[in-house]
Amino acid sequence: MDTYYLHTEHMDVGYDGVPLLRDIEIGVSRGEILTLIGPNGSGKSTILKSMIRQLKLLGGVVVLDGRPMADLREGDIARRMAILMTERLRAELMTGEDVVSTGRYPYTGRLGILTREDRAKVREAIALVHGEEFAGRLFAQLSDGQRQRLLLARAVCQEPEVIVLDEPTSFLDVKHKLELLEILKKLVRERNVAVIMSLHELDLAQKISDRVVAVTKSAVDRCDTPENIFQSDYIEALYGMESGSYNALFGSLEMARVQGKAKAFVIGGGGRGIPVYRALQRRGVPFAAGILWENDVDYPVARSLAAETVAVPPFAPMNEAALKQGRAMMDRCERVLCCLVDFGTLNESNRTLRDEAARAGKLLSLENLSDLWTGGESR
Amino acid sequence: MRPGRRSGLGRLLLAVLILGLLFGCAGGNPAQAASTGPAWSALTVAREVPLSFATEFSLTEYDQGYTLLNIPTSGRFLIVPQGAGVPRGLEGDIVPLRGPLGRMYLAATSAMDFFRALNGIGSIRLSGTDVNGWYIDEARAALQAGDMVFAGKYSAPDYELIFAEKCDLAIESTMIYHTPEVKEQLEKLGVPVLVERSSYEQDPLGRMEWVKVYGALVGKLPEAEALFDREVRAVEPLLDQPKTGKTVAFFYITATGTVNVRKSDDYVSRMIALAGGSYVFPDLSSGSALSTVNMTMESFYDGAKDADLLIYNSTIDGELFTLEELLRKSAFLKDFKAVRAGNVWCTGKNLFQEPMGLGKLILDMHRVLTEEAPTELTYLHRLTGGVN
Amino acid sequence: MEKRTRLWIGFVGLFVALLGLIVWNINAGSVHVTPGEVLAILLGKGGDGAIIVRGIRLPRILAAALLGGALALSGFLLQTFFANPIAGPFILGISSGAKLVLSLTLIAFLSRGVAVGSLALILAAFCGALLSMGFVLLISAKVKRMSLLIISGVMIGYICSAVTDFLVTFADDANIINLHHWSLGSFSGITWGNVAVMAGVILPALLVAFLLSKPISAYQLGEVYAQNMGVNIRTFRAALILLSSVLSAAVTAFAGPISFVGVAVPHIIRSIFKTAKPLVMIPACFLGGAVFCLLCDLIARTAFAPTELSISSVTALFGAPVVILVMLRRQKENL
Repeated sequence: MDTYYLHTEHMDVGYDGVPLLRDIEIGVSRGEILTLIGPNGSGKSTILKSMIRQLKLLGGVVVLDGRPMADLREGDIARRMAILMTERLRAELMTGEDVVSTGRYPYTGRLGILTREDRAKVREAIALVHGEEFAGRLFAQLSDGQRQRLLLARAVCQEPEVIVLDEPTSFLDVKHKLELLEILKKLVRERNVAVIMSLHELDLAQKISDRVVAVTKSAVDRCDTPENIFQSDYIEALYGMESGSYNALFGSLEMARVQGKAKAFVIGGGGRGIPVYRALQRRGVPFAAGILWENDVDYPVARSLAAETVAVPPFAPMNEAALKQGRAMMDRCERVLCCLVDFGTLNESNRTLRDEAARAGKLLSLENLSDLWTGGESR
Repeated sequence: MRPGRRSGLGRLLLAVLILGLLFGCAGGNPAQAASTGPAWSALTVAREVPLSFATEFSLTEYDQGYTLLNIPTSGRFLIVPQGAGVPRGLEGDIVPLRGPLGRMYLAATSAMDFFRALNGIGSIRLSGTDVNGWYIDEARAALQAGDMVFAGKYSAPDYELIFAEKCDLAIESTMIYHTPEVKEQLEKLGVPVLVERSSYEQDPLGRMEWVKVYGALVGKLPEAEALFDREVRAVEPLLDQPKTGKTVAFFYITATGTVNVRKSDDYVSRMIALAGGSYVFPDLSSGSALSTVNMTMESFYDGAKDADLLIYNSTIDGELFTLEELLRKSAFLKDFKAVRAGNVWCTGKNLFQEPMGLGKLILDMHRVLTEEAPTELTYLHRLTGGVN
Repeated sequence: MEKRTRLWIGFVGLFVALLGLIVWNINAGSVHVTPGEVLAILLGKGGDGAIIVRGIRLPRILAAALLGGALALSGFLLQTFFANPIAGPFILGISSGAKLVLSLTLIAFLSRGVAVGSLALILAAFCGALLSMGFVLLISAKVKRMSLLIISGVMIGYICSAVTDFLVTFADDANIINLHHWSLGSFSGITWGNVAVMAGVILPALLVAFLLSKPISAYQLGEVYAQNMGVNIRTFRAALILLSSVLSAAVTAFAGPISFVGVAVPHIIRSIFKTAKPLVMIPACFLGGAVFCLLCDLIARTAFAPTELSISSVTALFGAPVVILVMLRRQKENL
């Protein structure tokens, strides 16, 4: 607790005197990124807003740099903590650079006039977010991504020790999401800043955070490393996911499995099966997958989407038992698809299955995949 | 960011300034003519001008030629005759006026008639009403000829013009009390202000008696007294005649639909009594110093439904000529006895501007009350048309 | 630097316009005074002309400038506070409170036949305005969203109107006419004493507003960011309401509620200077308001002399089309 730069002690948060979450104890140290995850309405924003004093605390204290925030003067807090919240900034007639320069506010004199040094810091911050190109334009005319980067530059200008962000990437496209988080990472590394934020993008949260706080509707559930938090069952339970699944390894999501008896048997492996699995799932065709090694790239997706999967432990040969299983499954299916073009010494069994299917007239070529759902009879 | 302190400072400053002004601004007239006349205490009273009906003023003539006009609540004015000096030791509240006044600013429209009757319109240099606002022909003619100039209405007069014309008196109505800064500004510019109160006279003949005030101002007091006596004599025969026993209502309907009626002791009610009728509301009065009361149509209906005669006051709203126009103002009037009998009259719009004609109005009323179909009345006309 | 030159040109232009209008105004009036004589009078010459120029025209000119500046400044502060482009100096109900206490005073005195001095009326209007302000301050401490204050301002307006109408039903028709006249505003009859008090209230307020430029510019980003940058939101809100109310109260007390200056001038200034920075806007709006009001007063008192047009009709005539034009152009630029 002593190493935390910003932490809470027995904090209760809520609106209008009604507590939403009680007894919150979270903290972030310098040089660390702490991310809050949790379902909509769980209170992530409420926690952050309470920590920056936008909302009144219903109980407990927030400690900043060793002192309770209530004891600090506004100026002291401004020089230590910067924010980037979801509020839309109304910046009429202000250029991007004007908005960024407001970050120097805690350091300028009575009338807020910027010195040459201030201006240099502003330019530095804009360079950090790669905003030189558009900083001169009117803030209101910039895109969301550009605005968000400038707001981050603004926060940097405050020379804070901790930055608090509320869903900073929500409105950004993929490229800008990555960019923004890269900049944050750089800040943390180079300037030893503490970052506490909330994210909806689980994959990014998994990859960027040093520690993660999982917030449920009733309490702050866990505070742990990403490795421990991002487990499929835990995430699925946290978000109350009823359909679809979460892949902890890659941090990706899969749609719900199509229920019913498998119509097709898909021979796959090495990544070639995944597009076919997804196409079939999209079209609502239940299928079986095999024979796959458990460490094959196709395996996790097959597990999520296929009605049945034939699998073999990693690095083990595909033996007779596996072949038998595969054959039995193939017999139960109407059609067979083979995604593989080359076969290696170790997955000869798959080639065997393919040939058997061809002889039985069940083999469907990949071009005619659509037959499975249109009911066509092309060969 | 220390706003608390600033408002404290500002308030203090404001308070100090206001206190300074309160004590510094004693108003008064800077137009202090050199006091070269006799001692005020040495003046001897020649006579108190006899007043038969008026109560709102008094006139005192002094042997030395001075005349003191006293209008309680308005002020005291000493009219200094031509060539004489202002008395020394004059009491502080008495405003000296260099008579006879010949460059007045008249913002009280009802006083013009008195000047007309005295042939004194020439003494008025500036008017508070423009040419189109006058019903008095002589006033209109003077404005058109340029002998009289419009100087803005009472609430926003053209101070530059008034000052440049060297007005020697501003005659205002009591409306000026709503804009006290105008009175103060005029006094600062050296123009004494007389707030006339003729409309506060309860007796109509008392109202007419104000001609003596204006006569004194222009040095024609004897003519004024003669004029007044003549008018009173014209009305005197009525005083001996028996009452007709008929009830009369005098009213108008406001824009919001309420009925504005005179109070029972108001001068109009008294005129009706003098004319031989009785005012339909015998005890209508309220605590305030106003002469009219706004009542709901219901109450008016209740009190005036059976009145023998209705007289509609056109000064605010405009003249009515037919009963249909009257009923458009309020359909309830259809049930009134006077309406069904066709006994509804309306005043001419010029009534308000002609207080000298009150005697003639009383005579008109008397004729309406006693004659079947009187014609050639000065101030009243019957509303034509029928009611079914 | 384009921005710098724009600022210079803008301010110089405003000063020139102000001086020009002062000169024009001081030479305009029913009585003809030659410019040479005017100059002599300003340098100390006495006589009749002096009373007209120094006693009648000059205080009126100074009042129009001061009050015009106060209106524009108050309008700017409130537009920033509420982030609402049509907010004006009387949006919080200031003039309604003033009118109420004023009519109470008039009715109380006049119905008893007692005369009331102009100072008492000024104080009454000022007190009424401050009462409204006090009410708004109380509410602002309780609500979260400041936009609710606009609603409270409207409510105050309605309540005060209702009470005033209630009282007026017991008064003479004459009283009604006059309050309507007051409601349209007028610079007529302003004295040096008035000017002294006005300056004593308005100029310090201008200074304080200027010193608050930094928190105001922080506030322009929104309360959340302003707070994070170190502004004490509670105190700031109260300060802004207080400042704008005192400015509006001063105008209402001496000249009645003058419409449109407070709404239109900040927009005009914004489109001239192309910035919303308080360091620029505060002095510029004050100057702009002074220029605007001087021009309108000139027209009001000379166009149909000796009849005076009410100042509000002239400001509305100029102000309304300007606001529409400016808003249309801003719409085009922003999109």
